[in-house]
Amino acid sequence: MSIELSDIRYRYGEAPALNGIDLSIESGELLALLGPSGCGKTTLLRVTAGLEFPDSGTVRFEGRDVTSISARNRHVGFVFQHYALFNHLSVFENVAFGLRVRGWRLRPRRAELKRRVHDLLELVQLGELAQRYPAQLSGGQRQRVALARALAVEPEILLLDEPFGALDARVRGDLRRWLRGLHDRIHVTSVFVTHDQEEAFELADRIAVMNKGRIEQLADPQTLYTQPASPFVCRFLGEVNELPTALHARWTGVDAADVTAFVRPHDLDLDADETAIAPARISAIRDLGPLIRVEAEHPLLSAPIVAVYERSRFPIGRLAAGATVTPVPRRWLLFRGEQRIDAT
Amino acid sequence: MTNLRKSSSALRDPRWLRWGLLTVALVFVGLFLVLPLLAVFGYAFEKGLAVYLASLVDEDARAAIELTLLVAAIAVPVNTVFGVAAAWLVTRFAFRGKNLLLSLIDLPFAVSPVIAGLVYVLLFGAQGWLGPWLAAHDIRIIFAVPGIVLATTFVTFPFVARELIPLMQAQGSEQEQAALTLGAGGWSMFWRVVLPKIGWGLAYGVILCNARAIGEFGAVSVVSGHIRGLTDTMPLHVEILYNEYNRTAAFAVASLLALLALATLALKQIIGWRMRHAMPEQDVA
Repeated sequence: MSIELSDIRYRYGEAPALNGIDLSIESGELLALLGPSGCGKTTLLRVTAGLEFPDSGTVRFEGRDVTSISARNRHVGFVFQHYALFNHLSVFENVAFGLRVRGWRLRPRRAELKRRVHDLLELVQLGELAQRYPAQLSGGQRQRVALARALAVEPEILLLDEPFGALDARVRGDLRRWLRGLHDRIHVTSVFVTHDQEEAFELADRIAVMNKGRIEQLADPQTLYTQPASPFVCRFLGEVNELPTALHARWTGVDAADVTAFVRPHDLDLDADETAIAPARISAIRDLGPLIRVEAEHPLLSAPIVAVYERSRFPIGRLAAGATVTPVPRRWLLFRGEQRIDAT
Repeated sequence: MTNLRKSSSALRDPRWLRWGLLTVALVFVGLFLVLPLLAVFGYAFEKGLAVYLASLVDEDARAAIELTLLVAAIAVPVNTVFGVAAAWLVTRFAFRGKNLLLSLIDLPFAVSPVIAGLVYVLLFGAQGWLGPWLAAHDIRIIFAVPGIVLATTFVTFPFVARELIPLMQAQGSEQEQAALTLGAGGWSMFWRVVLPKIGWGLAYGVILCNARAIGEFGAVSVVSGHIRGLTDTMPLHVEILYNEYNRTAAFAVASLLALLALATLALKQIIGWRMRHAMPEQDVA
């Protein structure tokens, strides 16, 4: 089922949380809402679910206007950040909840209900834990119960709020890949909120990067990374050096004073150069295993310049703390203010 | 889980201070709580079991017991429904005047029960605002059972709400939102999600409310009119008997109230214990 959000506006008191959001999500797509905390991504998810009502704008499911329909009747699966499991009910009863609260006409018969709950528990690989209580489960298991519970009502839209936020790093990675696999099998239109760009890149078909209640860019991960529409998107998707004209003009050929070159650490070399006109001095070298990270101070910049080398590419002996170097970008993106400019 | 009750040895006071404080506390409890309680039962049984039982099956005593139970049977459910509704309103919605409502819920605790009783007399009494209208329609409130019910309800008003508000605030509303997205209506949400979560806290509030409803003296005394066999509740009946120098009968009825108090305390302990154990620790992962 497709979702179309148009011109959604929402305020908390005085502060605008959503500032005219337009977004369409295709049927069967897995979309990430990515942004820093406070950018409005969770609010947007809750507006889609019907847990919050926008001040203006419309929410459509498959063309049908559902803006004024409450969460109860939107038929949307929602997974809460802290799971919100019913602590007084067993895992089985948690999953069965959505089926039990239906009107008696729609409620499945006992055997049917049992079969469906067990099928779902098998799907999330928790078949043996049906009689346990939420307090007896690990974080990852609780997350999967929450997912099974949301899927029990056979929603055509699944919304997940920071689905892996409360889990430790290892479990998070496993669950992420498992969720992607699950989505590929059941093809329910899914939207999840995250502040972790790695998570968004690994899971999503498309990513909407949000900032201050707006969508900065909506694209697939590759486009987002190689063609960021704004400095914000570029900064948010990972570490980036922002070189002023004096440091990049020689390589980019653009010497307008107000143009900044954004260079990823892996697209930058630090060349040992005793005769450099504007030299940087290496302040730290950190061995990260597969990668080696070098930081250099430059008088024109407040933040250190960062270059990351693959281990095999690292020029051993030529770079050492205190050495004078020239930053040499191999690939870059140019921005004038908020505007992307194409130099070549 | 770390045992928080175990205090640091650095904070342990010297032996003489600990024993001194303990002695003071025990003497105090003995003098002001245990001794009076023993006295109640001592006087009640001073003329033997037969007189004790006779005092309780006396017609006026039975009428007082029945009236007290009737009043509690009305006031407690009313305040339970109100308390749950108010706690829900206060914890789940933001609205203008919320702080005012919270203060008003506490009003019966702040106001002397005698004043509460007087207010009802001024409202519904023969000389009161609504007195003439009530008299014209032959409705009796003051010096009759409705007045006693009203006064008791007023005085016991905050117990349930006060117990539930902090509990529901602490629990938050995420589970209710989850129930909502799963298609639960208001009714099934209340029975399946809210009530199980607040159950023990609610029980706790209800028994406190009940204890107060049965034991209330001041407010009821003002509106009752002390008509024997008609508008006497148990506490009022005790006073009347005592004023008539019928000490044994007075303490026999009083012993029932004391027993009720003990039962309430026991229940309160059990429920308090269940509340602590019914809530599995939420790990903050």
